[in-house]
Order: sequence, then structure tokens, then C-alpha cells
Amino acid sequence: MTRPEPSPTDDPLRLEALRGYGILDTVPEEGFDDLVHLAARACAVPVALVSLVDHDRQWFKARVGFSPCETDLDGSVCRFVLAEPDILQIPDLTADPRTRDNPLVTGEPFIRFYAGAPLRTPKGQVLGSLCVIDRVPRPEGLTDDQADDLRRLARQVMAQLELRRAIRGRETHIRERDAAFRARDALRDTQASIAAIDGDLDTILDALLDGAMRAVPAAEGGVLELIDGDALEYRVVRGSLLGQRGLRVPLEGSSAGRVARTNAPFLMADATSDPYVKRDLVERLGLRSAVLAPLARGGTVLGVLKLQSAKPDAFTARDLEQAVLFAGVATAGLTAVDEARGREAVHATDLYWRGLFDRLSEGFLVGDVVRDAGGRVVDWRYVEVNPAWGGLVGVDPATVVGRTLREVIPDVEEEWVREFADVVETGRPAAFTRQVGTIRRWYEGRAFKLDDRRFGVIFLEVTARIEAEARRTALLALGDRLRDLATVPEMTSAAAEIVGRTLGATRAGFGRIDAEMETVEIELDWTMPGMVSLAGLHRFADYGDLRGSLLDDVALVIEDVTTDPRTRADPSPLLAIDVRALVNMPVRERGRTVAVFIAHDAQARTWTSDELAFLRNVADRLEVGVARVRAEDLQGVLNKELAHRLKNTLAVVQSIAQQTLRGVSERDKVDAFERRLLALSRAHDVLLRKSWEAARLRAVMEGVLMLQADLDRFAFDGADMDISPEAALSLSLLLHELATNALKYGALSVGAGTVRIAWRTEVGQAPALVLDWSELGGPAATAPSGRGGFGTKLIRMGLVGTREAELRFGSEGLRAKFRAPLADIQIQVH
Amino acid sequence: MTEDNPTGQTLVLVVEDDPILMLSLVGYVEDAGCDAVEATSVAEAIRLLETRSDIRTVFTDLDMRGSTAGMKLALAIRDRWPPIELLMVSSQPWDAAQIPARGVVLGKPFDGRRIVAAIQRFAA
Repeated sequence: MTRPEPSPTDDPLRLEALRGYGILDTVPEEGFDDLVHLAARACAVPVALVSLVDHDRQWFKARVGFSPCETDLDGSVCRFVLAEPDILQIPDLTADPRTRDNPLVTGEPFIRFYAGAPLRTPKGQVLGSLCVIDRVPRPEGLTDDQADDLRRLARQVMAQLELRRAIRGRETHIRERDAAFRARDALRDTQASIAAIDGDLDTILDALLDGAMRAVPAAEGGVLELIDGDALEYRVVRGSLLGQRGLRVPLEGSSAGRVARTNAPFLMADATSDPYVKRDLVERLGLRSAVLAPLARGGTVLGVLKLQSAKPDAFTARDLEQAVLFAGVATAGLTAVDEARGREAVHATDLYWRGLFDRLSEGFLVGDVVRDAGGRVVDWRYVEVNPAWGGLVGVDPATVVGRTLREVIPDVEEEWVREFADVVETGRPAAFTRQVGTIRRWYEGRAFKLDDRRFGVIFLEVTARIEAEARRTALLALGDRLRDLATVPEMTSAAAEIVGRTLGATRAGFGRIDAEMETVEIELDWTMPGMVSLAGLHRFADYGDLRGSLLDDVALVIEDVTTDPRTRADPSPLLAIDVRALVNMPVRERGRTVAVFIAHDAQARTWTSDELAFLRNVADRLEVGVARVRAEDLQGVLNKELAHRLKNTLAVVQSIAQQTLRGVSERDKVDAFERRLLALSRAHDVLLRKSWEAARLRAVMEGVLMLQADLDRFAFDGADMDISPEAALSLSLLLHELATNALKYGALSVGAGTVRIAWRTEVGQAPALVLDWSELGGPAATAPSGRGGFGTKLIRMGLVGTREAELRFGSEGLRAKFRAPLADIQIQVH
Repeated sequence: MTEDNPTGQTLVLVVEDDPILMLSLVGYVEDAGCDAVEATSVAEAIRLLETRSDIRTVFTDLDMRGSTAGMKLALAIRDRWPPIELLMVSSQPWDAAQIPARGVVLGKPFDGRRIVAAIQRFAA
């Protein structure tokens, strides 16, 4: 069959463009569905389609009034649109030579009228059409308005297709970027661990395969096959290949064998159609696709790294690159295993490493320790640094080789020398996360020994991460401190220190602003050693135009006082107090700016938005903390005033009673009244100590009993606990009556008598407090005759009115047991 | 010197601006077997102390109008008439450091036994 003229349906560029949109055989989407409905309505037809013309079929992304989701090209009218510059209209399909034999015209559904607008890509390729179809001929065709609507809707279909493609593109990009990060981490870890392993082949191969599996997530199984005679032996296995260790594959007639023989990596897209794969292995290994890379040393192939999947097309060209990269790392590791191979091979490896490290995004350096006369390591010299090192440290790499660390970074922290010296001396690799203070940058990496003088370091800059962590930790610490501290100066001073240290500022403090915002009274500030404190009163006007932003209630942020328009006219007053950069963050109280939180730096610096957000957060917390302290202070004053008034009132009540009862001859009754009043008042004293919220059980007991007798007459036995105000009052009155009786008739009426007071909590369905009062060494007790007086009634009432009072009047003295539900004794937590 | 002290008993100057409380304080002084001289303000108390020399003990409320007036009186007495004993009552706690030497502060409501005991000790 020959085709004299290529049809537009077969145009390879057009078909490639169609593939590029990734739209064929996808599920319906509302955006397209809406457009065909609009088209059908606009053109008053029962059928509308978004038809995409493939090389052998037309496929409908959206359709209304038409059931099949695709037809072959014999049934396609849309294919004729491909060659049209604009809308193709066929008023009567039975009359047109192109369509009169179309099966959809001659049979069901007997279509008669067709109008299709081309779906044209920005590059001019027509993918298909947005078409409308009727079952009756329409000799007059579409009206001008309908044709215009159809054209516009076709453009919308195209816009939808473009949008879809753009989103897909972005998702692919994100996936690829994540994969690249993961692969980079895996490579770095593998390199570092291989460098750290001292030449054990299996350990190196283990690390290598683990890294490769991590870098290529599509890999379900992985293997390192080493050449042994005329076969490849499965030496290290992972994932779906676990259990295949020791398997031997012939060098001839297998994919891995071919990779080993040709020393060329290979991407096997689909094992079922692969010409090299060993057929019987495919099923046994669950192999459908794979990437394979040779492990070579100095041109000699030692084995093959294979990563495989049970799914076809699981791997990309990038995965193959990763496999090659890891196989290269193995080469370096294998070299370490066999140093007898001679200098040539080592040299080749050096070249390999150099190439690798030149491309790394991690910084890499080789250092050579410098010793003093006593042999102690005092510095080290740069032997080699890679290009990434320059960017991470901020020094031109070309200028450092041959110079020592202390020459390149004066005042560098001692640890940067000591730790690497330890690595060289002990041979143990070291991991570090540390700051170079003078440049304020943090680095994380690993150092490993190369020989008796030299070491290698591979590292990344982690300043942003460390500083973010420090700010987070600082906020937590600040929250704790603010909660625990009780006075405003303590809080501001704690906040100043935390902020100063966290931001690495040279000074931090808190200043109150006067109502006119002309002066600021700086409280005890935090400073770096050597900085003067600014505590005291300052006028804003003395330092430039600093008030403006505070009047507007926004932070004052100056990166360099010598260039900032607000201070550059005369920066000397600020420079005189070592302020080159500053932030004044407003602190509000009841919505008004009443203070500023201040951070200073003796050097010009850019305050990052994260740092400013941190300061804002500190200022906010301080506002809340200060408000809390003020509220508590006020509460404390009110509590004291209340206690004072209550006691004064009790004294007045006492006086009135005394005067009223003046003529009563039973003075002991008057006295008893006064003692009860006192007992009640003692309970209030104890309650006041905890702001009336609770009282300590022991304190309540002692407060009331010491009114009656020396406390050494009482033995207390029980765990102290918080009790409710009600329980405190009840307990006070109860113990007062018991002690009064003991003084009159019981153990306390004789010199040697004592009272033991024991209490415990009983757990169970209804937890209870049980209190025992036992008199010892006194006369025998006798029950009061009759109903007894008020005192007896109070005792029989028990704790918090439960009436659970068990009184035993025995020869040894009074024994009383009281019981009350714990829920009534303890504080109710709401 | 017996001035206005016909009974010859120990004289206690009672300083209290609340008339109801004054009745009680005077009652305690009498229960202790002493005679009371009443002053209803700090100024009056000072005047009395300046005009007579037979007062050995001052019994004052610290919670009088002008919150610190009572304590100021106590300090002034310790300063100007060092031999006079000081018994004070207050509804608030006081630091030992704030109390004049040999002074005793008791709480409110009143613990009659301790007040009487203190007056008797000073009078002895």
C-alpha cells in the first residue's frame, strides 16, 4: 500500500505535539466538559465534541450527545479540519463527497450537519477540533455569531490544554528536583562512609549499594555482581533480590555480562523485548526493567551494579546517571581495598575524585596539619579546595591553597584546628556542626583521615537551619522564663539576654518610652563582653530621626547608621556607643506603644525577615507576660486589702460581742466565742498565703493548734496537701474544738499528755480523706452527758459537714476518726 | 509622780481611732490589772506623752487612718521615749525588721490571753 501524499493526520510533528500535551486516554475533566456543553447550546445542536485526531483514531476528551469515547479515522469528519485555516462547515454530510460514505452518516446515528473549529497550538499544529453536530442538515450553516462563539470556545479548549500541560510540567520539575536532592544526599553519605571505612571490601560494597538504592527510589532490588572467571557472581543484594546472593550469571548471553564486556552503562526499558537479557532469569528475578553500570578500575571491569524493577519503564536516564556515579564511588572504594595495584591506578582514582569534587555542591577540602616545635598540631594548611568551598565560605578558592586556616580566617575557633588534628591523630572520622564566628556561618560535615598529615573534609553550610532552630529554642526558653518570673524587670532582663545571644547581637535591652515618645528609659540591658551598658535615660533626638517609626507603631530597622537616611547626617552619637545597626521593636500595653525592645550590632548587618519576626514574637510575648504580672500584682494587692479588712471586721465583731456580753456572768462562754473567732481567722491567714485559692493542710492545723498549746504537744503524721478554702475553715473549727476539749479534760490537761494527728487518703470508688485524733498520756475520756454544747456539735459535724465522725471515749483518752470525700477536701480543678 | 493616776496602778496609753475597738482594747488593759489612758489619734497620743511622764506602756493599733500612722507613732516613741514598752495590734503581717526594739505585734481578731499576758509582762 503506497501513500502518494502524506496526510495531515500522519504528520510526525503534529503527532509529537499531541503526545506532548499528554491528554490522550485521560479521564474526563470538568473544564472541557463545560466547554462542549456551551458549544452545543451556542450552536443549538444535540452533539458537541472535543476531538483529538491521533494517527489511527480520533479520541474525545469531552463529549455531549455522543456515546463512544473514540472512533477510527473512517468515522472521523474532524480529520478534515486539520487542513482548514478556520471553521470547517458541511451543511449536509450526505451531499459532500468526503463524508457521504462515512459510517456515521450512512448508519447510526445518521449525522447530517457538521461544524468544527480547529484546535491550533501556539506553534500552529492542529490537534483536532471542537465540533458541533446535528442530525438534520442545516443548509444555512452556523450564523455569524454562532461561528464566532465556536471559534472562541475552541481557543478556550486550547487554553485548557496549555494550562494542563504547564501544571504537569511543574509537577515533573518538582519531582525531579526532589530526586536530585535525595540522590545528592545519598552520594555524599556514601562517599563519606566509604572514606571512613578502612578497606573492608564487603562493607564498602554494602555502603555503596545502600546509597544507590536510596538515590534511585524506583529500584525495587539491587545487586553488585563481581566478575569471577567467566561468570558474574551476585556479591551484595538488596530489596527484591535478597536471597539471590551467590547467584552466578554467565558473562556471555546476559545483560550484565554485556555491560561488563563493553564497559558501558545500559538502561533496560523492558526485559520482555530486550535482546540481551538471559530469558530464564527474567522470571526468576522478577526483572522487567533495570539500570546497569560497570564497576571499573583503570580500564579493567571488576563487576556490575544493577538496580531493577518488576515494572517496565521504571527508570529514567537520570537514574542511569546515578548508577554510573555510584559505580564510580565504588571504584574509589575498591582502590582503597587493593593498594598494591600501584600508583597508576591511584592516580586515575585521584583524577576521578578531583572531577567528582569539582562538580559537587558540597564544599570539599584537603588539609595538611601544621605542628609546632613540640609536635603539637597548631594549625593546618589548605592543600586543596573545590569550587563549592569558595561559595560556602565566601573566600576566593584560588587564594587559599598553601595558606593556613589561621591566615585565611583569623580568630577562628580553636575547635576547627583541634578536631581535625584529632582525626589525623586517631584516624577516627568526625562529624561536626559548628559556627565560624567571625563570618557568622554554620557548617555541618564530616572529616576523615587521608594519611599521617592530611585529612579531607566534606561539608555544607547550614546557617539558615541552625539559626531557625536557635530562634525556636529561644522562644521556648523565653516562654518558660516569662512564665516563671514574677517581676517586669526580671522578665525584660531575661528576654534581653535570650535575644542577644540568639541573634548574635552585641547588645539587647528593653526601654520604656515616655508618653510624648521623646525619651526612652533603658532597663538593665544585655551586652557582649566589652560593650558598654546603655541602661538609663536617652533622648531619641540625640541620635537622629528615630521617633518616626515608633509614632507609626512600626519597628525601627537600621542596617547601617552611616548610610540610613534617618541617621547618616550625624551617625557619631550612635557610633560612639558601638551601634552600627539597630532594631527598635515596639512593645504595646493596652494597645499603646509604651516600650521598645532593642537589638544593637557593632557591625553593619542585614536584619533578616526571620530575625525581625523573631523580635516581634519576643516583643509580643513580653507584652503578654508583663500584662500577666501587672494583673497578678493587682490581684495580690486586692487580696491583701481584703484580708486586712476581713480581720479588722472580725475584730470589730469581737468587740461588739464583748461589749454585748459584758453582763454575762459565764465568762468562759465569752472566752470560748473569742477562741472560735480566732480559729476561724487563722484559717484565713493560711488561705491568704495562696491567694485564697487553697491552703496547705499542715499549715492550717498548725495555725489553729498553736493558739491552744505548744506545737510540740502534737505529733503530725501524713502527707501535706492542698485543701480547698471550705475544707480549711471546717478543719480549723473542728481542730479548735478538739484541742479545747483536750486542754480542759483530755491529754493536754496534764503535762505529759500529747495528741497524735494522723491523716491519709483512701483510694477506691469514692476516694476519701481519713483523719485520726488520738490523745495519749492523759486521763480516761468520758462521753459528754446529754446533747453536749456547741463544741460537741461542731465535733460531731465532722469534716466539711459529712457527720462521719467516730468518737471513742476510752481509758487511754479520746480517739476520734473523721472521714470526708476527697472531692470535697481538695481543690476542684475546673 | 502620780498626776491623774488616782488608783496607783500601772498606766497604759491606748491609741485607737475606732471607738468600738477602743472599748475592747481598754477592756484588755483593765483585765491585765492596769489603768488605761485613751488617745483617739496619733497627735493626741504624742501630746499626752509630752505632758505626762507616768506612762510606761503604749498599746496602739497599727491600722489607723493614714495607714502608716500607727507604726510612725511606735517608731517616734522608741526614738523619743526609749523606756516605754510598745504593744501593737494589726490585721497585717509586719517584718521583724520594721518593728521597734522590744515591741510586740499581735494580730486581729484579738487573742485576749496573749494581749493580757503581754500587758502584764510590761507592767511587771
